[in-house]
Amino acid sequence: MNQRSAVYLDLLGILLAIVAALVIGIFVIFLVSDEPVAALQALLIEPFTTLFSFGSILNRMIPLVFTGLAIVVVFQSGVFSMGAEGQLYIGALTGALVAVYLPEMSPWIHIPLVVLASLIGGALYGFLPGVLKAYFKADEIVSTLMFNFIATLFVSYLLNYVFKAPDSGGFARLPFVQESAKLGPIFDGFPTHAGFLLALLAALAVYLLLYKTKTGYELRTVGKNPLFAEYGGIKPKKVLILSIAISGALAGLGGTVEVIGLHGTLKDNFSAGLGFDGIIVSLLARNHPIAVLLSAFFYAYLQVGGQIMQANSDVPRDLAIIIQALLVIFVSSQAIFAYLKQRKLMSSRGGERVAK
Amino acid sequence: MLSSLWEQTINLTLFVILLRMMPPILLGALGGLMTDRAGVINIGIEGLMLVSAFTSVAAGSATGSWIIGMAAGVLAAMIVSYAMAFFSLKMNVDIIVTGFAVNIFGAGITVLMMSILYDSHGSYVPENPVSIPNVVIPFLDQIPFIGKLLSGHNLMVWVSILAVVFCYYLLYHTPYGTHLRATGEEPGAARSLGIPVVRIQYSALVWSGFFAGLAGSYLSMGMTSMFVRDMTAGTGFLALAVVIFGNRNPFGILAGSAVFALATAMTMIIETTPGNVIPSQFIKMVPYIVTIVALVVYAIRKHRKTLFT
Repeated sequence: MNQRSAVYLDLLGILLAIVAALVIGIFVIFLVSDEPVAALQALLIEPFTTLFSFGSILNRMIPLVFTGLAIVVVFQSGVFSMGAEGQLYIGALTGALVAVYLPEMSPWIHIPLVVLASLIGGALYGFLPGVLKAYFKADEIVSTLMFNFIATLFVSYLLNYVFKAPDSGGFARLPFVQESAKLGPIFDGFPTHAGFLLALLAALAVYLLLYKTKTGYELRTVGKNPLFAEYGGIKPKKVLILSIAISGALAGLGGTVEVIGLHGTLKDNFSAGLGFDGIIVSLLARNHPIAVLLSAFFYAYLQVGGQIMQANSDVPRDLAIIIQALLVIFVSSQAIFAYLKQRKLMSSRGGERVAK
Repeated sequence: MLSSLWEQTINLTLFVILLRMMPPILLGALGGLMTDRAGVINIGIEGLMLVSAFTSVAAGSATGSWIIGMAAGVLAAMIVSYAMAFFSLKMNVDIIVTGFAVNIFGAGITVLMMSILYDSHGSYVPENPVSIPNVVIPFLDQIPFIGKLLSGHNLMVWVSILAVVFCYYLLYHTPYGTHLRATGEEPGAARSLGIPVVRIQYSALVWSGFFAGLAGSYLSMGMTSMFVRDMTAGTGFLALAVVIFGNRNPFGILAGSAVFALATAMTMIIETTPGNVIPSQFIKMVPYIVTIVALVVYAIRKHRKTLFT
């Protein structure tokens, strides 16, 4: 079987998985709703009917692209980091501090500085569990989960006790960011902010990094076969730390883009699981950086649809969460793909036999 | 502040709170242990607990019986964990991915059912709450110190401690336990000896559903009498940390759970002490930092010879 038809089969399998998850979701809607048609229309069609809701899909998609890419990098390197959430908070913190406390200046200088600060903050916070794993063999799944809690609490402490904006009342936040650090709308009258372009750039950068550079080759080789990589002279410890630091930088940038694009300030508990959503996005994209754009869009579409459905019908938006969980399982069910590939293989062999 | 903490240690309040906080961590960790020793670590304990917590309180308050509630919760968690096993072992989905999906699923399905059945998005407080009873030991509870030490604790406290003994017996003193450990250590070798590896892993995952189910029903019918969305708040993840902290051994896990419950209990006491100057965020961080330190210490102990080479 040649490589191209393998890719097609993979795509077919993913489409089947999406259809299966949606069918189950629709079935549940018919089961629980008195107005299933209205609910379905709200979930699936209405997100596309107005410029505003379409724009909010793109806005939703932006942080998911960043955290999705963050997970792509670690998963491709064979590192099971669940730490995007914590790295996102730390990156958002360092980025937001630069955005708020540096004086007004040209946006062409200020925004790159903010981006740089968030990259460094996120990368350092990824570096930590990376070092613990590489030199102390501390399991990264558990350690990154713990680091997530610590980051959220630490940022919450700083927001409540150290940097709290005097006028923020019960919901702690930083002062608003400088005008020159804000990402405006892509064009006037459209709700999507310029972070969208950064997200596209990031996807391209991760693609080039993974598939067109020596470092990317090393990351992927360690992910596929660590022993082989080591025999080949690649240092697995270096790769491990590097991959989780790059992942942290991406997640951190995602957090900062939310701050300077969407909220205009750093709020307590602003993320609510964006880092974990990144895991879903990456799995749906089969850990490919360009496909992350599609899966993040689809994921954001489901979320916006779920919200509209909750507002316009009697079905709560949590149904969308269940569809997401089913999607993860179905898309990852490799047995389905193996089965499909085998059938294809058998039919092609059969063809050969006839030809002989 | 320290004096108040000391006072509450002496009059056993700290100990009582510790025992109150321990069962969900301990039971969750025992569930994690069974899967870990079988080589299919279940990171979906959190989601399983949520499913059981909601099912328990819903079935319990509908029937007026905590036993039915608990049975329904445990059964629901076991069904979900069986589905997990199916997708992992039959459909070849990575066990980490399945566990992760179960966590999302648990958070979603409980809130969905809550809003369908009770029209609420945040929490459900039953009108006629039922709870798992406390065990008051007659006569003993009259004795000042020993009474508070042993009597009046929730039934699930004793169940969870018995569960430790049960797990120990099961893992180390039955053929099934030997097979399970062999499966986790070296599945290939186990298979060549005729051990039904897949069936053992199925059973290990269902055990994790059983223990997480007990933990969940205690959350909604023992520690509280209601269901709140995402009420596990990371307990399932802590439980995984305890598995490693406790050296993957039932009694080690008992000790580990006690340490974590102690940290939580101290957090509660310090937070409610008047004149407290420590921000609550720092106190809440303690268990997580302890986990990371424990992870490192455990790993150093285990790999002492191979580290730094």
